[in-house]
Formats: sequence, C-alpha cells, structure tokens
Amino acid sequence: MELQPIYIQILALAIFALGLMTAISRRNLFFVLMGVELALNAVNLSFIGFSKTLPADMSVTGQIVPLFSIAVAAAEACVGFAMVILLFRKKESVDSDNYSNMKG
Amino acid sequence: MTNLPLWLIPLFPLVATILLGTIAVVSSGGKKGAAEGIVGALAVLFPAMSFAVVAILAYGMPEAGIRETLCNWIDIPLFKADIGFMFDGLSRIMLLFVTGIGTLITMYSIGYMHGDRGFARFFAYINLFLFSMIVLVLSDNLLLTFLGWEGVGLCSYLLIGFWNKDVNNCKAANKAFIVNRVGDIGFLLGMLCLVTVGGSGILNYDALTSFIQMIMTAGHVEIVLPVLSLTGLLFFIGCTGKSAQIPLLTWLPDAMAGPTPVSALIHAATMVTSGVYLLARLGSMFAILPVVLDIITVIGMLTAFWAAMAGLFQNDIKKVLAYSTISQLGYMFMAAGVCAFDASIFHVFTHAFFKAALFLGAGAVIHALAGEQDMRKMGGLVKKTPVTACVMIFAFFAIIGFPGFAGFWSKDLILERLFMSGPMGPAFYVIGLFTAVITAVYMGRLIILTFFGEYRGSKESEEHIHEAPACMLLPMVILAFGAIFAGYLWADSIGITFFRDSLAPVVGSAQAYAATMHSAAHVNPMIFAGLGTLAALLGMFIAYKVYGNARVPAAKGSSAPEGRKATWTFFFDYVHKYCGIIPVQVLAWICDVVVDKILQATQWTLGAIATILGDGATVIQVRKVRLQVAFSVAGVAALVLVVLLTGGLI
Repeated sequence: MELQPIYIQILALAIFALGLMTAISRRNLFFVLMGVELALNAVNLSFIGFSKTLPADMSVTGQIVPLFSIAVAAAEACVGFAMVILLFRKKESVDSDNYSNMKG
Repeated sequence: MTNLPLWLIPLFPLVATILLGTIAVVSSGGKKGAAEGIVGALAVLFPAMSFAVVAILAYGMPEAGIRETLCNWIDIPLFKADIGFMFDGLSRIMLLFVTGIGTLITMYSIGYMHGDRGFARFFAYINLFLFSMIVLVLSDNLLLTFLGWEGVGLCSYLLIGFWNKDVNNCKAANKAFIVNRVGDIGFLLGMLCLVTVGGSGILNYDALTSFIQMIMTAGHVEIVLPVLSLTGLLFFIGCTGKSAQIPLLTWLPDAMAGPTPVSALIHAATMVTSGVYLLARLGSMFAILPVVLDIITVIGMLTAFWAAMAGLFQNDIKKVLAYSTISQLGYMFMAAGVCAFDASIFHVFTHAFFKAALFLGAGAVIHALAGEQDMRKMGGLVKKTPVTACVMIFAFFAIIGFPGFAGFWSKDLILERLFMSGPMGPAFYVIGLFTAVITAVYMGRLIILTFFGEYRGSKESEEHIHEAPACMLLPMVILAFGAIFAGYLWADSIGITFFRDSLAPVVGSAQAYAATMHSAAHVNPMIFAGLGTLAALLGMFIAYKVYGNARVPAAKGSSAPEGRKATWTFFFDYVHKYCGIIPVQVLAWICDVVVDKILQATQWTLGAIATILGDGATVIQVRKVRLQVAFSVAGVAALVLVVLLTGGLI
C-alpha cells in the first residue's frame, strides 16, 4: 500500500503546530527560532506531499520550491542567530519578554 | 524707418520696470533710497523712447494698419491664441497719448515724488503700468488685451496704495481692485460667450469684424443676436468696472488716495478710458446690438449727470476732479452708445490732455500747500502760483467746452451725435447739455475756491507757498497747450476732419451700419456749437454768482461732504453695501457657521469617538511579544475559518 498524500499533510500539520506552539510558548529566543525552523520545514514537507499528487513531469515544481526555502531558511537562521547574539550582549538575557523597548 | 517692429513699444517700459524694480529692491535695505537723478532719468527715458517709436510708426503707418504676430501663446486643441500686435488708426491714437502723456507725467512725478522713500518703486510701478497699457491697446486679440487689462488694474492697485503706511490708502486700493474684479468677470465671461459663438479664433479683432460682417451679409443676425447681446452686455460690465460707470464707479473717487501724478495718468488720462477703447474696438459687434447700445447710452447719461452733481458737493480738490472724470467718461459712453465711436475716442483724446493738466495743476497746488487738499483752505493762489493757475484755467476752459478749446470740439461733437441718434436723441441731448452746465458750475467753483478770493489757510502756511519746480511745470504747460489745441484735429465747424479720417478704417463701417438704422434730421451744426457755448457761459456765470463772493464755510475736520450731499455722493456705496457686500457677508456667515462650525463639530465628534475606541483597543496591546504573535496567529486562523465557511469573498 502506497503512502497516501493525506497522511503527509497530517504529519506536516502536526509538525507545524508543534513549531508554532514552541515559537509562541517558549521564552528562550533560541527555542523560538527553533520553533520557527520547525514550522518552515513543516511547510516544506507539505509542498513535497502535494507535489506527490501531481503527475511526475509537473511534480518537479513542488520539489524545487522546498530547496529554495531551505536555502532561505538557512540564511534566515544565520541572521536570526546573529541578532540573538547581539541582543544577548545588549540585554544579558535571551528572554523574549524582556525585549519590549518598542512598546508605546 | 517705418519697419520698426511693434514689440519695441512695450519693450521699453518693460525694461525700465525691470531695471527700476531691481534698483528699488537693491536700495531698499539702505538708509537712503537710490539716487533720484538716475532713477528719474531712467524712468523718463524709456517711455520717451517708446513714444518716439510710436511717433515714427504713426507717421508712416499704412491705411490698413500694421499687424505683427510675435509668437504663439496658447496652443491646445479647441483653443489657440497668439501674442500679436495691431497698430491701426485706433491704437495709434491711443498709443500716442498713452506714451506721450505718460512720459510727461513721469517727468512731472520726478518733482512731485522728490524725497519720497519709495522713489524707485514708484517709477517701477509707473513703467509697469505703461507696459500694461501699451499691451492693452496694442494687442490684436481680446485675450492679450485682457492681460493688459489686468495689468493696469494691478498697477492701479499698487499705485493707489503706494503710501501704504496709511491704512485708508490700502483700503482704497483694495476697493479699487475688488470692484474692478467684478467688472473683469464680465470681460472674461464675454470672451467665453464669444468663443462659444465662433470658436477661439474669433477673439482676434480682425476675425471678429469679418465674422460680424459675414453674419450680416448672410442675414443670420437674428440667430446669434441673443448670445451676442449677452456678450455685449458682459463686455459692457467689464467696461463699467474699468471706466467707473454706474454701477461700478465707487472706486474711482477713493482712488484719489494715490499720489496725484497717478491720479492724472491712471485715473484720468489713460486707464479709465480703456473701457471706451474696448467699446470702440468691438464697435463692429456693438453696432448690431441695439438693446446693448441703448443700455450703454442710458448708463452713460446717468453716470455723467450723477457724477457732475456729486462733483458740486466735494471739498477735496482731487475728489472734484475724480467726479468730473467719471462724468466725462459718462459722455464718452453716451457717444459710444449711439455708435459715435470716433467722437467718443476723440473725447478720450482731448480729455486726456485737459484732465491730465487739471490733475497735474491740482498736484502742483497740493505740492505748494504741503499736502493740503481741502479747497476751503485754499484761495487766492493765482498770485502765488501764476503758472499753475494759468494751466488750470486753460484746462478749465477746455473741460467746460469754451469755444476754441479742446473740450468744445469733442463735447459738441458728442452732443450733436446724441441729438441725431434717433427718436430719443433730443432728450439725451438736453440732459447732456444740462450736465455740461453743471460741469461748468463745479469746475468754476474749483477754480474760484482755489485761485481767487482770499487765502483761507493759516498764516504760517501762507509763507511757504511756492511755485512748483520746472520739471513739474514743463509737462503742465505742454498739456495746457494740448488742452487748447488738441481739438483742432477734428474741428467739424471749420472743416477739419483729420481725426475722423484716421479712425475711419477701424470704426467707419460700424458707424455706417448704425447710421442706416435711423435717418437723422439735419440740423445746422452751428446751433449745437452755439448752445454748447451758451451752456458753458451759463455755468460759468452761475459759478461766479454763487461762489464768486460767497463766504466759504470754514473747514471742519474731514473734507468729506455731509448731510444730503453725502447721501448723493455715496449713493452707490450704499447700493453696493446693500446689494453686494451685505449679501456676501450673509453668505460668508452661513459658510462660517455651516462649514466651519457645524461640520467641524461633527469631525471632532467622530474623531473623539475613534480616539476613545482606540484607547480601549490599546489595552489588548500587552508587553509580551509572544502573546502578540499568538493573537495574530489566532486572527489569521479566524480569517481562514470565516473564508472557508462562507466560501470565499462574500
């Protein structure tokens, strides 16, 4: 029995929910970033899953987009971690609730 | 030499304006103004050069005139206008006296404005005025004329309010400007009407004339008559504004707040006659509009009579002359109203000389008395200032139409044409003649009060009375010669018709058309001349009897007339107040209450509600970034849910 696309989507949804919940509920910035990465990768998985439903010659699009998004996510992670480090130097803390300078 | 380009004529005053304006601006910071010698020389030289160009061109002008298109001005679909100049019989005469008298009065101003802090500024304005006036009379289409028309209005405003330290002068300037705007709307709408009838090309005077000729030969006059009548009426409103006719005349007496040379140049000799010029220029159109012509005649007649009466009541020497100008303009409009455009332009021409002479004489008197304008404090000046007195007396003979003087020829001509203008002619004639008597009375009063009898001012001021300097006397004397001899260019009774012949190519056909409308009974012109002379003599006699030996009431405070005299004098001010100013004020009040107050209150209420709601909403904005993200995710989720449930956009 072949893997049904719907299960892939369910898995992607579960991972996305986990990532989102991590990003929202954790106060440590590193965990927030990890949660964001997780959510991103869940979306990539969803792309792959949907590309599976298409005929072979068209499904290639769905497989290429995740490659791009992985590259972008890597860059984003770089920048993100750099910012976190700078923020840490400034604030001596990685607790996201401490960063409320912009509040009006 | 006759191939001089026409644009040289307006160029000279324009250059002078720029030069003098620069000097005025540069020297404005200093303690003393710019050197008066240089400024005065520049200010006189440039108008004189432009006069020379006009004279040369006038001498060698071909019968049909010179036309020259300088460049394209407006070129859009449906509307084209050129900057073009036209030098023909009519603009030749206007230009000759505009530049000629302009030069003389500029020269006079050097003496009059001596020591004034705004010396350079004054002459910059004067030259700007001359430039605008030249553009007005030289242009070959209505649009460019309108440019000059507005330009002279602006200069009139600037010069009336020249001594802007006094708030009354500024008020007078504003009044002149605003009242003129009302007339200018008439001019603009008139142009619009013309464009709707015949396209933008018709704004050109030649095109307009040929258009009128075309519809006349094709017999379509009835079709366009309503629109053309409206056009004529609108243009006439424009003329009443600029030429101070009923109902837009209240600004001219107030305009006397300006320096006297300005009153002489702008408010007597040139600018106020531009309305008459426009009537003559559009003569071909007005000739086929009998209703409009009748209105013009009646308005001119009422104005002439009313202003002459008002002139009787004035104590301020310049105010007398101002009302006299309005009255004489009324004569010109009467003449234009019976299609005697050449006679009306002839009166413009002679009037320019004698009224300029009178104003300059009045200026010299005011100068001699160190600013005193109240005639009740003058008297006996003939011994102190003999030259000024002579000039003014000659001009006085001219304005009352004493035989042989300039006004005699032109005024008689107008009265004669009025008499022969159809069934109502004799009535117009009688009122015109009666007005001539009043003219002689109030002018006689002015001369008697100013120059004869005993001096009524204070003793110490009497010692300071002095004759004006030579640069003021020379223009006055020249103008006095003009006041005596200008009439001989068209002395009908002795067979000189040079003036009429030179105007014939421009207004001849219109007048010929009007003449066919009514056959006039022929009356011996000598009778008119005799009656005119009689009117002048009678007026002089009355003036002598009434004012010659009477004790002049002592001057109290203001020189403004009082009691019933004030009612008559300021009648149209009251009319303006109740028909114009108060309705506008009511409208302004309504706008103020509705727009400014009620609408703004609504605005503020709505704004306050939004602010309160916003303040409530900020409660949700808490410190936690994580909570914000959660909210936004929840919001997105809610949106997605709604979209899914409703199936896309509602």
